[in-house]
Amino acid sequence: MSQVFHDIEKKIIISLRANPKQTPEMLEKSTQLSPDQIRRGIEWLKLKDLTLVTESQTSMFSLGKNGTESFQKGLPERRLLNLLQNGPRKISDLQKELGSVFGPSMGLARKNNWIEANSEQISINKSPLDLPGEKTLKLIGNKKLSKTEIDFNDLSGLLSRPDFIVEDIIKTKEITLSDSAKDIELSDSTGDIDVEAKVPEVFVARTHPLKDTLDEIREIFVTLGFSEILGNMTQSSFWNFDALFTPQDHPARELQDTFYLDKMSAKKIGTSEQIRKVSESHKKNWRYQWDINEARKMVLRTHTTSVTIKHLAETKPDEARIFSLGRVFRNEKVSYKHLVEFNQVEGVVVGKDASLRNLMGIQREFYKRIGITKIKFWPTFFPYTEPSLQTMVYNEKLGKWIELFGMGIFRPEVTRPLGITKPVLAWGGGIERIAMLKYDLNDVREFYNNNLGWLRSATKCQ
Amino acid sequence: MPVVELSYTRLQKLVGKVTKKQISDSLPFLGLDIESENKDSVRIEYSPNRPDYSTDFGIALGLQGLLGVKTGIIKLNIKKSNKYLISVKPAVTKIRPFVTGIVAKNGTVDDKTIKQLMAMQEDLHFGIGRKRKKSSIGIHDLDKIQFPLVYTTTNRNHKFIPLNSEKEITVSEILSTTDVGKDYGSLLGQSSQVPIILDKNQNTVSFPPIINAAITTVTTKTRNLFVEVTGLNKDDAEDMLSVVATILQTAGFTLESVNISGMKNSSPKLESKKISVNSSLINQSLGLNLNSSKIISSLKKSRLDAISKGTNIICTIPSYRFDIFGPMDLVEEVALGYGIHNLEPTLSPSQTIGNTNPVSVKLKSLDQTMIGLGYLEALNSSLTSKRILYEMTNRIPSKIISVLDSKSQEHTILRDSILPGLLENLSRNIHESYPQKMFETGTVFQYDDPISEKINFSGISAHKDANFTEIKSMLQSALKIGFGIKIETKTVIHPTFEDGHCATVILNGKTIGLIGKINSKTIENYKIRIPVVGFEVSLSDSIL
Repeated sequence: MSQVFHDIEKKIIISLRANPKQTPEMLEKSTQLSPDQIRRGIEWLKLKDLTLVTESQTSMFSLGKNGTESFQKGLPERRLLNLLQNGPRKISDLQKELGSVFGPSMGLARKNNWIEANSEQISINKSPLDLPGEKTLKLIGNKKLSKTEIDFNDLSGLLSRPDFIVEDIIKTKEITLSDSAKDIELSDSTGDIDVEAKVPEVFVARTHPLKDTLDEIREIFVTLGFSEILGNMTQSSFWNFDALFTPQDHPARELQDTFYLDKMSAKKIGTSEQIRKVSESHKKNWRYQWDINEARKMVLRTHTTSVTIKHLAETKPDEARIFSLGRVFRNEKVSYKHLVEFNQVEGVVVGKDASLRNLMGIQREFYKRIGITKIKFWPTFFPYTEPSLQTMVYNEKLGKWIELFGMGIFRPEVTRPLGITKPVLAWGGGIERIAMLKYDLNDVREFYNNNLGWLRSATKCQ
Repeated sequence: MPVVELSYTRLQKLVGKVTKKQISDSLPFLGLDIESENKDSVRIEYSPNRPDYSTDFGIALGLQGLLGVKTGIIKLNIKKSNKYLISVKPAVTKIRPFVTGIVAKNGTVDDKTIKQLMAMQEDLHFGIGRKRKKSSIGIHDLDKIQFPLVYTTTNRNHKFIPLNSEKEITVSEILSTTDVGKDYGSLLGQSSQVPIILDKNQNTVSFPPIINAAITTVTTKTRNLFVEVTGLNKDDAEDMLSVVATILQTAGFTLESVNISGMKNSSPKLESKKISVNSSLINQSLGLNLNSSKIISSLKKSRLDAISKGTNIICTIPSYRFDIFGPMDLVEEVALGYGIHNLEPTLSPSQTIGNTNPVSVKLKSLDQTMIGLGYLEALNSSLTSKRILYEMTNRIPSKIISVLDSKSQEHTILRDSILPGLLENLSRNIHESYPQKMFETGTVFQYDDPISEKINFSGISAHKDANFTEIKSMLQSALKIGFGIKIETKTVIHPTFEDGHCATVILNGKTIGLIGKINSKTIENYKIRIPVVGFEVSLSDSIL
């Protein structure tokens, strides 16, 4: 296995090969790296299983106040013995010269039979070369030493004396190389980096995934010879319902399905001829009193068909392929399946090409271009088309046929009152359903949550 | 769409000599969507324009045609009878002027049939009955009724034992205490008089359009039925009656006529009608080249009758098929009888050249420019809430455009600005890494007798160093690269923005939007802990 190492890692490995057991402080010295570099290097190597880090506790010893004084002036008993060097002395003199250490020094000296004392004076009995503790005192001096560096027997006497020795418990790390690190080859060249390592994530700016689907569908329609028309989302009931032969007492027109705009009524809804002929068609075929005030009520369009039919009524083309793409609204409870506002596309074909089989052919081509090949057509019902079909597409994931677009030929009861003489074939449906299949989403609300976690991660081409 | 629950074995018995698979394969081609299946039972959705499909009897008729077991029209055999009379009194004219009816004899009804008939009745009420307003139906045990009947009115203190009850209560009590009374009582308005059907002995038969009397309840012991339909319009009432008559005949009953007279009422004929369609319209519309005999056999499979006369096909349509208005409806009947699965899609080359709308082209290039500037596109609903649009951003509402009876609290008013939605988006992403830069283009709505719709463009940038200069530089470049236009900014005060860090955006001396640093009040409302700058400009009048 060939691995690339950072310079820091290399220096640590080399140093540990020379001296297999080191503390971070020792590594700092041997590699000339900063404490932070050592810390990072050890961490990296540990993650790669190349070093072992063992943590241990050690006692460190240094001199306390009395210890330091003794280091400078000698131990109290040494000072006592020094004063007796030239013969016996009076107790009161010794007391004066030794001060506060007179008591302790006398105690120790008498206990060890270094001196002899009567009521007036004190003299040396035998004077040892080294007093207990003296070596250790010198060894420690101004330093801090670990247990292993000190003769513990010699230390123990000092430990029992007040404020002679200070003991600190210190945690230390010891770094060693693991077995696998022993055969690692370190490349000679410096400046190489770990190209296999993980790098931070950056986020691309992008168009919204649903917008991508809308653009894709727009492009397919244009390629199939359709031209895009735009229209308002707010429409009079006349264009959303009446012109499409939906009777005014039809359940689809009720508040619970359609968003009516509060106190909004359109003054001008169409030409007087359009209004007269549409109302006549309703009265004759649906047998009720048509009310123009009902037709004036403004709604949020429930389908893009309102835009299409208005366009056709204005232009009355002999030959045309047009489409409209945009938001439509339904007064529904929002759920993972339903939104109150979603996108719909609708295309119409007017003229010679306008046969049901041809419309089926256009649809088959459309689905092929969005990657759906397994489709079939079933009859269905829409109030404004006759015949009416729906496309069923096979969803591999669900293992069943699901309904997508609807299609049909506009009823003469729709076209004739508006002066449209050529047959009009329409097809279309919701976009979010297609986009859900494309992005493998189970909750349609995700498209409008603007959740950066999803927007930053959804794959653009699927 | 209404749903009906069927049993395959029952359907097989009714259709005759077909397999379960043939049935399940054919249902969709009658226009019936299978909603769910569980062994023998299947739930299907049918179109409200085909109330005959609300029972398995009606569906069996359709399947027989499609599968070629029996084709052609279902003829109603109504035996003339003088035993059953209904006279109509003038008092009903202003309330519910028409009544019609039929008698069905010598049949048997099991629990399943009763269930199907009840469901059919409800669907007829909801669909063509327009929630009982236009017409409503009552099905009774004939043997509990003494003819002749009278259709008249009564006052609200009139008492009888209504269906599903054991004691006599008044009309007023029915309207105030029963579910149907509460649901449909409003159809009767404030009138002190209500419609009523009484028998020879002044016993109540029915209180239309609300409830039947308990005494005439149909049970599994019932052999003979009386059906009445009342309504605002004679034709609608007879349409409804024809569906029930057809279903009852199919269920094995013998039909007998009811004589109705008084106040423009007359006995129902339930006759078939004739509509002619040119075979070239059929072939052109479907993209086929069928000869007359193929067209006729297809129509027969759709349970209609037809003969050819030159290039015309003259079609006979039974009265229960009132969904057929004219020739185009017959085109569909041919397509269904021919079989939708037999229609092979074709693709002829387009006669037209497709174009993207110039507005869409411009918006798309703006999208590309914004991506180049590092902005992510967001999409928000046009239908939003006062909280997002005004309360959180401290904006002062002018003329709010609201929708009636929204089922969702978050979707009650149309947006007049995009920026508040983007700020809300930021608040939902405070756990995501910064910088966060987003933009949106979309429609905004303004009151303009009634409404004007404009396209706005808005963007926000949130990160620790976000400032006015950054957002102005960005907008300036976006509009310059996107549309080749140059903007200026001029100090202004706005409740969403910080004073001294807010400006109007001016194009050719005209104000087109706002730009600046979002103030701490707004940011705190949204619990955003990082500086945010943003802008919103109108594209509609000056740019697109």
